[in-house]
Parts: sequence; C-alpha cells; structure tokens
Amino acid sequence: MEVIFRILRYNPEKDSEPHYEDYKFDAHQNMTVLDCLHKIKWEHDGSLSFRRSCAHGICGSDGMRINGKNHLACQTLLKDINTKKPITIEPLPSLPIIKDLVLDMSDFYEKNAVVKPYLINNTPAPLDRERLQSNDDAEKLFEAAKCILCACCTTSCPSTWTNENYIGPAALLKAYRFIADTRDEAADERLDIIDTPNGIWRCHTIFNCIESCPKEINITWHISELKQELSKREI
Amino acid sequence: MIDIKELQTFEHDVIVVGAGGSGLRAAIECSVQGMSTAVVCKSLLGKAHTVMAEGGVAASLGNADARDNWKIHFRDTMRGGKFLNDWKMAEHHAKEAADRVNELEEWGAVFDRTKDGLINQRNFGGHRYPRLAHVGDRTGLEIIRTLQDYAVHRENIKVYMECTALGLLKDGERISGLIAYWRDSGEFILFKAKAVILATGGAGRAWRVTSNSWEYTGDGYALAYHAGTELINMEFTQFHPTGMVWPHSVKGILVTEGVRGDGGILLNSEKERFMFRYVPEKFAPETADTEEEGDRWLAGDKTARRPPELITRDEVARAITKEINEGRGSPHGGVFLDIATRIPAEKIKKKLPSMYHQFKVLANLDITKEPMEVGPTLHYFMGGVRVDSDTQMSRVPGLFACGECSGGMHGSNRLGGNSLSDILVFGRLAGLGAKNYVNSLSNKPNIDASQVNEIIKNATDILNRESGTNPYLIHEDLQDVMNRYVNIVRTEEELKTAILELERIKHGAAKVKAVGASQYNPGWHEALSIGNLLISAEAVTLAALMREESRGAHTRLDFPGERDEWLKYIITISKNKDGSMKIEKIERPSPPKELAEIAYAKIEELEK
Repeated sequence: MEVIFRILRYNPEKDSEPHYEDYKFDAHQNMTVLDCLHKIKWEHDGSLSFRRSCAHGICGSDGMRINGKNHLACQTLLKDINTKKPITIEPLPSLPIIKDLVLDMSDFYEKNAVVKPYLINNTPAPLDRERLQSNDDAEKLFEAAKCILCACCTTSCPSTWTNENYIGPAALLKAYRFIADTRDEAADERLDIIDTPNGIWRCHTIFNCIESCPKEINITWHISELKQELSKREI
Repeated sequence: MIDIKELQTFEHDVIVVGAGGSGLRAAIECSVQGMSTAVVCKSLLGKAHTVMAEGGVAASLGNADARDNWKIHFRDTMRGGKFLNDWKMAEHHAKEAADRVNELEEWGAVFDRTKDGLINQRNFGGHRYPRLAHVGDRTGLEIIRTLQDYAVHRENIKVYMECTALGLLKDGERISGLIAYWRDSGEFILFKAKAVILATGGAGRAWRVTSNSWEYTGDGYALAYHAGTELINMEFTQFHPTGMVWPHSVKGILVTEGVRGDGGILLNSEKERFMFRYVPEKFAPETADTEEEGDRWLAGDKTARRPPELITRDEVARAITKEINEGRGSPHGGVFLDIATRIPAEKIKKKLPSMYHQFKVLANLDITKEPMEVGPTLHYFMGGVRVDSDTQMSRVPGLFACGECSGGMHGSNRLGGNSLSDILVFGRLAGLGAKNYVNSLSNKPNIDASQVNEIIKNATDILNRESGTNPYLIHEDLQDVMNRYVNIVRTEEELKTAILELERIKHGAAKVKAVGASQYNPGWHEALSIGNLLISAEAVTLAALMREESRGAHTRLDFPGERDEWLKYIITISKNKDGSMKIEKIERPSPPKELAEIAYAKIEELEK
C-alpha cells in the first residue's frame, strides 16, 4: 500500500521554525512506524534525525507523536493507525527540539532526579546475603519499575503543557517506586519533595498519561496512592 | 591543522566509554575509589543495550537450590564454553557474581522473591541449578536503571551523553586520552585522561538478523585495535537460538531463554519435540531421556534431569538450523516455541510479561494461546579485547576493557545469564584495575597534537569529499555478506568469499560520503561507524577461517567436531605496521591445577 508520512522537520541551522514535509512510499501494514522512518532516512532523506535503539519497546528512545498521540515508533504498526490520510509524525510536545524528532531531554531527566530515584537505607544490609522482601511487597513495585523513561506520559499531560515547572507523571511514578519500597527509609523525604504546588497537586487526574504509556502502566493509580499517603500524613 | 588549545577539552582520571551495565559498574567503582570519572556514551543514559537483557543474572546464591555453589557455576561455565574460557576470569566470575547481585539488591534493584523473601532464581540453559536472579523478563532494564540512578547521584562521575568516541590518544605506549564528538553539534572534544575503560559491547549490527541494537557497531574493538591491543576469540559469535522470525520487520528480536526455562518446548513442523535427538554425549548424562522426566525436573523433582531444550545455546541454535534446513521448519522459516500448552495463561503473563506484550503488539499473536515461531539470531560476541585476567588491562598500559567488549571469560560459548553477571564482576574489576594503574603513574601523560589532528581529519574527510558512497547502503551490503557467508554453520569456501566481499566493501567504505555538514548529521554518524563494523567483521571472518574445528558457537561444516589439538590455542587479531590485519594462533597457558579439577569433576563431587 502507498502511504504518506507528514513529518515535522526542523533544522536550527537552516529553519526559522518547524515545518511539515511529506514522504510518499510503498509500505506494508506489518511495518512499524520506526521501519518507515528508517526507510525514509535510508532511501529518501539521510538527514532525517530521530532517536532509536532497541527497536522493541524496552529502551524508550523513540517516543514521538504519531497521528496526534504519544507512542513509541517501534511499537506502532501501520495496521493499527489510520493510513488513509497522511500519517503525521511530530516530536513529543513541550520539550525543546534539537533537530527534527530529537528533543532536549535534560528537563525530563532533571525532574526524575529530583525525587531521589535510588534506595536510601541507613540500616546496614546483612553481610552475606540480600535484604529480605516478600514477593507480595516486591510485586507492588513491579508495575512502576517497568517505566522505560520514554517521556510519552509527561509530555502528554495538559498540566505539563501549561506549567513547565510541573514535575510530571514519570517523576511521580518514580517517586512511588521508592516510597512504596519496604526496603527504603526515605519515604517522608520524597513525600515532602512532591507535596508542593508544582509537585503532585498539579495532577488533575486527566488520564492522558495512562493512555500514552507504551508499557501500559496505570500511572494515575500510582499517583493516587501517593495522594492518599499524603492525606494520611496530614491527618 | 587544528590548534588543540581551541578544542573543547575535559580532563578526568578515567574515561569510561559506554554506559551499559559494565560501563556504569566500572564508573561506579572508579568513583568509589576516589577518581574523577567520565562516562562517554553515544546514546542517552539508560538506553544502552543492557536494557534488552531479559532472563536474569546468573549467580550461585543458592536461594532456589541450596546445593549450588561457585564451583558448580564455574564448572557449568567452563563446560558451556567448551573449556576454552580464560580460567582465571571464569573463576573471578563464578566466585564474585553472588556478591555483585547482592550489592545490586542493596542499591535498590527489585527482584522476584522466594517464599522466604530471598531473591528468586530461575532455570536457564547449561546451568545445573535455578541460578538466574530476575525480575519477570526485564532484568536488564532493572539493572541498568539501578546502576544509572546509583551512578548519577555520585559527585565525581560526569556523564557525557550522545557523545561518540572516535580515537584513542597515546603518549608513547601508554594511554593519554581520547577524541570524541557531540552527536548533536558535531563539535569535537578532547578528553585528557590517565586511563580509559572500554565498555562498548559487541558488533552484532554487522549482521542483518541480530538481536542487537543500533549502537552495536564494534566501536570498542576498533578503538582498541587501532591503539595496538589484541582482540581474541573473535570467531566465537553467539547465535541465540530463539529470535523472532516474523513479521519481517522484527526478524531477529530476542525471545528470552526464560520461555524455555519456565517450561517452553521446541517443536518442528511435524509437532515433534526434536531436541531429544540433538543432545550431545557430553550433556547426555545430565539431560532427561523422556518428556515425562523433563516435566518432573521442571516441577522441582531433584532426582530428575533437565529437558533437552535447556542445554547450551550453541547446541540448540545448531539443532534449530538443521531442522529448518531439512524442511521441518515453521511457515516463516523458524521452528515453534510453545509455552501456551505448558503453563497456565495467567502464569505466562506474570513470568513473561514482556514476551506476551512483544508478540501481541508486533506479531498480533497471543503466546498464551498459540506457539511462537523462532529462529537463531546473532546475539553476542564471546571475543573481544584481550585483557589481564585480574586487572582487565589490555597490553596497552592504561587501556582497559570489560563486559562484551573484552574477550576470554566465556570461551567459545556463553551461558545465558552469565553476561549480566560478567558486566557486574568485570566492570568492578576494571575500575579497581584502573585505580591501581593510575596510582602507579609518576607523571601525567601528554597529548600529541598530530594524533588529534589525524583522528579529526579522518572523521571530517567523510564530509569534505566531493562525492562518494552512501553509508547506509554500505552497511546493508555488509550485513548481507555476514549473514550469508559468516553465519552459524561456516565453510572454508564461504569464509574465503566473505574475505573477498569484505575487501570490496572496504574499498567502497574508503570513499564513503555523508551529505551535509557536521551538525546533527545522522548520515555522518552512520559513516563513522562503518569502519568499526568492518574491522569487527574482518576479525571474525579471519579467525573463523583459521580455526579448523567446530567448538561452541563456531561451527565448521568442513571440520566437524571439537579437535583436542585446537583446545591448546586461541586466535589473536592485531594491527600490522602497514595497517593490515595480523592473525596469530597463540598457545594457551596450561590450566591452574585446582581449577582444572573443579571443571572436570563429576557433579556429585561438587554438590557436597
């Protein structure tokens, strides 16, 4: 079948602002959007820039806006999107564009670092073995730990669009990952960090984050657990 | 000539190239040892190839079976590598893996747990006991995230992301730094350092069908080769038995060995469980004779033996290839891997969530209802930079390598799960080695401006020539040649054809042209990696031609079976003064007596 990819291009060396360019070619419905971007780059325009690595949804490099929805290019098959019209490909919204689909992720990473995303435990671990944790307690972390830091959720959130200082769903999910960890001793410290106007209370339960998460993580549920934890603390 | 004073310059005690598991573990050790440490990585932090590791990390914790200990892990590793492993490295690995896993746990990694709250362990090919600590089938992601988050909040580690190393600098014989460039701006950077640790992984992207990500272009092999080190064991490229074969666009993507570890079975088009026919003599005494016995083993019966699907990867990959070649393959050119009829759907979703998701999204297949189609895919380089077994230093003073980038530890075939333990054990040892080396220096190495200029000129020539070959087409050409002539089963004729073909491609690559300027130019990035891929591919092909036997992952149709004579030798690759590739057959030292006793012991003797 013939498809048209309408890609938002931007080269700061040449362009004053981003603009769309169309690429028409033959494709198969089982091709992923990433396959198509490679085809364009290899056969049509070698200067097209985008990030990609593992190509099967575990590294989280190729999050982009496909027909208006945030998703991973490598996890989106043509058969699952509307190919009758030109397929629009844009960078994830609300982060600065470096070139084409490549974004400056610094702000996203910094927000992730704010919640202290590492185990804090001042009680020494046993000498010859691991700290104990029940499987049930470990399982409470599994879904949050599936996050691949692709930024699809944070950049899909209207609260992010209107307030660049909002910490965003990905960082909140990361906070949950450690706050809910039975081995960690710094839950209060992290709750203080997110208990701010630009922290968790900017989340208005809009659910965009869930819809855009390629790992199908119920991010809103995790955030609501944190909100409950904070309410309990206030009482 | 560029005035090096005008180059953007950074100075550190140690530069770690690569931010996968081994690079990050090395960087953490350097930092713990009080050194100023740089991590130079060509992708964003946390996207490295380690994230793709699925099944688990092998360590004889003894949590799932108390009979396990380091000696049995060592014996399994040596047997899996067909005794060509570096004895001392295999010893370090087996002895230290458990500490490294516990350390990771202390740093916050989450694992599946046993009823007693210990780290749970699963079965994998070639491992006597359930030995792989894991979290579902995304263990690599958990490891990289734990190391990354642990590393970035340490003060003396600086990460240079989307920054690619181009060439190493030397002061006389010893390392003095490296030249790199920012992928976004194209600007060159001079890194001054006392030591460099290469942790760049392998070169799987030289093949068309591979489980490896786009970064796997042999950068570390080429950097080390040009700097004067040796590469060893390059003929041993592991083909993982189970990659996706369909749809075409996902061909090669990994299907974890955990599927078989959790009970999955391999079937041919006649519904036959063919692996029972392929158990080699060496593994026969420890492998089940019947389906019934295999099932009892999976259920935890300690008197039963493992099913044949769980012998080592080299054997399983060869068996699958034979079934396909003899016309008993699946519709899309693989064989069937069935987990659906083996364990309940809910358990599949819990133990193998990424596999469930991967097939659902990419192949529109529900693995809880239907069998998967799988076939071999280029997965791992057992070979790499030759290093000292204790310090990980190469023959170039100050140049270290660890993880997949170094060679020796896995011999001719790596066991599943031994890579995630390898990166932790040897990442740490490389950091310690670098510390001792840096301490021993009496003066700071100097930068030689002519070396800097040569590296930069080679890189910018690609942009400056009037016209030339498209780098993407050269890469595709190379992948076709390697897939066709240097695959699982090799012959002299095919390997010689490959050498001629590589000469032809090298000729084209010498005239590669990237259109546009150095800023934000993906064509230029691609062109710069072609040279590294070609060195890796040529090293594999020459070594494969020289080794006239079949051992582990290296199979010669014209020289079937292991030859005792060849066990005495390893093959090294280095660079001649005239720039050509030098290949040598080098005698191995005889094994330390106490280690040989363990490796060749009967299993009962070690289970005490």
